[in-house]
Amino acid sequence: MAEPTYRGAALVAREVDLIGRIAAGDRRAFEELYHLYHRRLARFLTRLTRRYDIAEEVINDTFYVVWRKAGAFRGESQPSTWILGIAYRKARSAFRSSARLPQENLDAAPEPLTHETPASTEELRDWLGQALAQLPLEQRMAVELCYELGYSCEEIAAIMNCPVNTVKTRLFHARGKLQRLLPQLARPHSGGDGSPRP
Amino acid sequence: MNAPTVHDDTWLMLPWLVNGQLAGAERARAEEHVGGCAECARELAAQRRLAALLTSPERVSYAPGPSLRKLLDRIDGDPPEARPASPAPPAAAAVGASWRPPGLAWAATFLVATGLGLLLATTYRWSHPAYSTYTSPARPGSAVLHIALDRALPLGQVEEVLRHAGARIVEGPDGSGVLGVAPVATGGSAPVRLQELAGRLAADPRVRWIEPLPAAAPPRPGP
Repeated sequence: MAEPTYRGAALVAREVDLIGRIAAGDRRAFEELYHLYHRRLARFLTRLTRRYDIAEEVINDTFYVVWRKAGAFRGESQPSTWILGIAYRKARSAFRSSARLPQENLDAAPEPLTHETPASTEELRDWLGQALAQLPLEQRMAVELCYELGYSCEEIAAIMNCPVNTVKTRLFHARGKLQRLLPQLARPHSGGDGSPRP
Repeated sequence: MNAPTVHDDTWLMLPWLVNGQLAGAERARAEEHVGGCAECARELAAQRRLAALLTSPERVSYAPGPSLRKLLDRIDGDPPEARPASPAPPAAAAVGASWRPPGLAWAATFLVATGLGLLLATTYRWSHPAYSTYTSPARPGSAVLHIALDRALPLGQVEEVLRHAGARIVEGPDGSGVLGVAPVATGGSAPVRLQELAGRLAADPRVRWIEPLPAAAPPRPGP
């Protein structure tokens, strides 16, 4: 396991304390935890669902469970793994029970979205959003959890409730599809030093 | 050439080499292989670009207030449409006060109108969340500077960056790793101003992004 970073180490003790207070019915602790997670979940779920209203719905469903089940949190996993696990299940339900979202065509062989060179990093980011939308939900989740939120393979397996090897396989396939959909990812950005500009 | 299993194992573990979660012997093994494998090196570079795109700070800051209020209403089992509106008591009083002296009835009507006006204003505000962006210049007089550090930076180095600049964490980190910092007094001297703090932080390569400030002190461009 890597050395704890500020992002992880500084928050765990605080979050465990908040969850304990929530279990005792502390409304203020609940609001604090909600604010702590809202931006992270909103960004992650909006990219996942491509609909901010659905992302908000999933966030509230997630925290409704947090409020009700805080007493069942035993600290066997990190608070963020527990909360993201709930969010994953809620997002999956929202996806599968709703016809509001465009269905992915999982059988079609992925074709590149474009052969153009992106004019800006913003454009490349937009294309990436479209490419991610074409991945199956589980692969998309694995990509977001790994690259965006920085979770370890074991943590992703706990969040998605699947074996570690399944996580590796999902990312393997996701990376392959993303490369076919967006070959520009394999090339350094033409406008900069090789890393995307903001 | 490396054995296929080392190559395959490394290939599978590249995502965690990118996000900094691979450590110890596994990391050393992967890095050694990547050093001698052009295919893995290319893939690693591509994945780093993917991670950089996914983690770059967003321009939109979400406003959680209205959603939280909805959730709290749900928790209370009292959805907004079923709740009595706050100005209801004056309204009820007005209906039942027709026999009362006209002056009192006028006062009640005034209260109802004021209450309804406030309710409409509140409803309008809730339905239009106030979005703000980290890249907008900070509010004049704000005592907090928002920054983002290299995400893989160990805790000890984060402390060193802040101590060296004379800053302390007062907010966050949020989901994007953005921290709110404020100047502190160092070595018995008075705290530095926000502009000066931004300048000091901008000089540190471990600081990836600094919130723009209203006046000069141009921060480093985003990661």
